[in-house]
Formats: sequence, C-alpha cells, structure tokens
Amino acid sequence: MVSGGLYRGSLGELRKLFNTLRVRGYRVIGPKLEDGVIRLRELTSFDQIPYGWGDVQAPGTYRVVRGGSFRVGPDSPKRFLYPPKLELFRIRPDWSVEYPRERFAPTAFFAIRPCDLASIAVMDRVQGTSGDPHYLGLRGELALIVENCVEPGDTCFCATMGTGPEARDGFDVAFTRLGDDLVVFRPGSDLGVELLSCLNLEPADDSTLRTYYEALREAEARARAPFDLSRLPDELELGLDSPVFKEVAERCFGCAGCNMICPTCFCFDVIDEPLLEGGAVRYRVWDGCIAYSYAEVAGGNFRRDLWARYRHWVLHKFAYWVRQFGVFGCVGCGRCVTWCPAGVDLRDVIRRVVEWVRSRGGG
Amino acid sequence: MGAVEGRLEPRPAVIEDVVDEAPGVRTLYLRMPEGYGEPAPGQFNELYVMGVGEVPISVSDVTPEGLVAHTVRAAGRVTEVLTGLEAGDVIGVRGPYGRGWPLQQAVGRDVLIVAGGIGLAPLRPVIREVERNRVRYGRLVILYGARTPKHLLYKYELERYASIPDTELLLSVDRAEGPWDGHVGFVTDLIPKAGIDPERTVAMICGPEVMMRFTIKRLYEVGLKDNQIYLSLERRMRCGVGLCGHCQIGPYFVRRHGPVFPHWFIKRYFWVDQI
Repeated sequence: MVSGGLYRGSLGELRKLFNTLRVRGYRVIGPKLEDGVIRLRELTSFDQIPYGWGDVQAPGTYRVVRGGSFRVGPDSPKRFLYPPKLELFRIRPDWSVEYPRERFAPTAFFAIRPCDLASIAVMDRVQGTSGDPHYLGLRGELALIVENCVEPGDTCFCATMGTGPEARDGFDVAFTRLGDDLVVFRPGSDLGVELLSCLNLEPADDSTLRTYYEALREAEARARAPFDLSRLPDELELGLDSPVFKEVAERCFGCAGCNMICPTCFCFDVIDEPLLEGGAVRYRVWDGCIAYSYAEVAGGNFRRDLWARYRHWVLHKFAYWVRQFGVFGCVGCGRCVTWCPAGVDLRDVIRRVVEWVRSRGGG
Repeated sequence: MGAVEGRLEPRPAVIEDVVDEAPGVRTLYLRMPEGYGEPAPGQFNELYVMGVGEVPISVSDVTPEGLVAHTVRAAGRVTEVLTGLEAGDVIGVRGPYGRGWPLQQAVGRDVLIVAGGIGLAPLRPVIREVERNRVRYGRLVILYGARTPKHLLYKYELERYASIPDTELLLSVDRAEGPWDGHVGFVTDLIPKAGIDPERTVAMICGPEVMMRFTIKRLYEVGLKDNQIYLSLERRMRCGVGLCGHCQIGPYFVRRHGPVFPHWFIKRYFWVDQI
C-alpha cells in the first residue's frame, strides 16, 4: 500500500487520467446524468461526467440542479461487483450443471466517492472472504479512482462512519477538485503512482495544501450524524426493546428500497427459473430484510411485523455486522435516507434509540 | 467452479422408498450421490425439485444400507411437490450442512429428548445413536407431542423406542380424537412426570419456538441449567451455507453456526420477540 504525497494539476490532467485508463483497455464506470438522475454508468468520454451539475438531497428528496456539486446517486459499485441478478448455473434434465462463461474485463471506477470506495472494502470482507467467484473475478482487475468530497450533501454522514470525506486508503488515485481548474491528486497504490507519473503535475505548494486541508476539514464537519460509533453496537443491542422501531414502522412502507440501494446490503435469494427445453436456470437475486417474505417460512414468519424487520436492518448494519465481519455495514453514504419514499432518516432513528437506551441507564 | 456455486449445486439422488407418516407428512429415503458425506445427527440437506426450488430438510435417519431419510411436511410450494413424489423419482441434494446435536457432550450422561410435531425428525438419529451404542449413554427419556395421535411420526417404531433398555417414552397430543392412553395437553406437561435427573441430563429440544421456550421454562423448574439445554432452530434460508443472510438470529447465522445451539449461547437473542 502506497499513500503518496499530494500533487496539483489542471482539470485537463484529470481528463488525461480518464483517457489513459480507456486507452489501457479499462471499462471505465463513473457518474453520468441520465433521466434527471446521476447514475453510475460505463463512460466513453470524460465529458459525460456531469461536472457543472449538482444535486439537492434530503430525506425522501433527490433533485438534480444546474451548478453546485453532486454526490452519490442511487447506484453504487455493488450494482457492478455484486449484480442484482446473476446467473449462477444451469441444470440440465440429466442433472449436469453448466456454468456461464464469465469474462472479467478490467474495470475502473472513476470519480466514485470515498463512501463508495469504503463500500468496496466492506464487500471485500463479506463477498471476498466468502469466496464469491464473480465478485473476486471483477475485484481482481479493479482500478479505483476516487474523488474526495469537498461539498457533502445533507444526507451524507461519512465523517461519522469514518469513511470520508477524504479517502484514506484502498484506492489507486484520489483526487480533489478545489476550483474550476485546480485538482489535487494523491496516489494510493503502485498503479496509482504509475498512472500519475504519466500526467503533467507538480507537487502541491503550501497554499494548495492549506486550501486542501481547509476544504476537507469543513466537509468533515458537515458530513456528520448525531451519534458516534464508540459504543454504538453495544448500545443498539441494549435498544432491542426501544419503542423507536415501532414508531418508525408507522411511517415505513416496508418497500425494502433501503436494502436495495444500500452499497453493502448483501442478502440474496436463490431462484430457479424452469427452461422450456427442460432443466432450470439458477439465479442469485438481491433480497432485503425489510421485505415481508424475507424471514417467512412455511407456516410462519420469524419477523411478521415491520418494526421487527426494520429493527433487524438497523441492528445488522450497526451491531451484528461488526460481530460478523469486523466492520460496520454502513458507510454513511446517505442513500437510504435520500431514497426512502417515506423520508425515514436512519441517522435520526439511531440517535433516538441511543437516547432511549441512555435514558434507561444503559450504554 | 467457484466456492459458492459449488456449494449451491444440487446433485441427483434417487428416491428409493417413501413412507407415509402422518397427514401431509412423508419420509423420503434417498440414495445419495457419490461423494456425499455421512450426515451427523441434527444436520440437514437442501432438497431440490428441478425448476421448482429448494428446501432445507433435516436428516431423519440413515439406514444400514446407507439410504438417507428426510421427513417432509407439505407446507409450501416445494414441500407440496416433494411429498407427492414416489420411489424411482430423482431429486437434487446438497449437504450435509450445519452443526448437529452434541453427542460428544452427552456421552455418559442421561439424554432427554423433547420434540414437538415434525421436530422429532432431526432427533430420530439421536435415538438411533443411543440405541446403537446403548452403553455409551445414561438414561434415555423421550417426550414427544403432536396435534393428534395420527399426527405422531414414526408410529410404527415408537413402541420400540420404549423397549430400548433404560428408556422412558411419554407421548402427548393436543386432542385425542379416539382411543388414546397417553397424555392430552402440552408436551411440556410431561416434563415433571418424567424421571429427569437434573444433575446428569443433556436436553435436546426441537419443535415450534413457542414450544421450545415453554420447554426451557419447565426444564429450569426441574433443575436443568442453560448449559445442559440444546435446541435446533429453524429460519428461512436460501443458500444453506450462511451467506444469503436470511437465517440470522442476532449476529449468528443459523445455517452456519447452528442449527443446533447450546441454549446459553443463543438465549440473549432467542427470547427476543421477532429477533
């Protein structure tokens, strides 16, 4: 792991970095404005990155506007590394099994945010350690170009989760746009050093460094949630009986959108689709614990009430996940807050549960 | 072949025999594919009907010929089909999965089995084990409850259980519906009636969760401690190996860490409503 120094350059050098990746044969995935939403899509040109556009994000609100800056949209790297529907294999009528031929093109994520970079580190723990071959296949050829966030949105809380607004490790190149034509670059790996050395940059001078640190310090102060992590898993486990979950369930639609949009939620269902010629295709599809059917078995449902499913989601993300994988299952991207059709604010839910626990002398 | 796909890949098993057990309940005796390991008591397999889907079903017996039995209750889409199959049909299997009953810890001690309904199925291999290696274990007490006498599983061999040396078998039904000389009520009512020595008993429980909770309360009353009580949990599961997330109870994955748990290990979560 390399974490090199800071270099300054123009927007043109950032464009050159993008082009270098394309020339080297990477499939480059980055932000692209599509139908009024900033998605993650394969990019063929640097100009497709919607710099000059911004977004307004709030609980239950997402709007793209002219000017300002944009944050993460609904797509995360999960969509590519852990696709919503993946063919696992086909079973023939003679019970022979045929695996799809997968080709893993070298892929670069370009201008993803530190929270999404962190989500890949979480997936490395979950999908990576479980030996998911599709994930590992893509992960092996991944270049990660991350853009630090100097203007976090109103639903961002990466600073609380320790994942941003400045990427600390796990990237190849981190860049920060500090003005219309000033970009600060940092290499984070051997590949990053090599990529940056192809550009025309100069070491960041003191004035640039001061601007950089000031911008990220301000961003960090903004990207906070009203809780801290120090004893959160234990406090939440003491909050299993909190009435807060039932209050949230009064508003929650149970749509499981938060599961789907979460960059780390990994639960999947296994479904078989019969083939006309006999046999079946087995797919892995995303599933989510907020969905009614998630804990349903023949003759019952272990979490028939929405409040229990919502509680499980919160506890899994912020308590059980830590026990299971050694990291939080949340990176503070705020997607579940922005995209919740009921505007349920996870940050507020956690604050209230923790307050309830502390008011009872726990925690 | 990757680790996950390999683990999710069913292989063909031939149904050699089918036994009607109770209304909607049948036992399928399977000739397992080559390379299938010996299932330990309490483990389960994923049974697959081509193009319909998979269900986790406990192993309810391994015959001397090596056939592996699964007792299936028609309760959902896949089990409806499974219970309609006949000898000669082929289904897919993968397994065996999960951590089974604590037979090592039970050596030299009394074995108490408390089962409700279909919950006797995963405990039947324990009875077989005690019967086969009788001197290894102390007294065997089997408490078994079902809805009605005709809902009792393995009726053709229940009598034989009672004749295993140093064994007590007590049965209970919710409703007698005809001649019945056993208990009518809850299976937990049998606990004070059975000769249970709290000093030397290992209890193994399987049934609906509400029944298991009442059982644990009654066992406390006769003097058992948490570290003498084991239970087999059920959860929705899709992958069978604890990756798909569905089988979580608190931070644990029932299919990876269970399905059999020591009560002390899981009680922090087991008693929480809809955990």
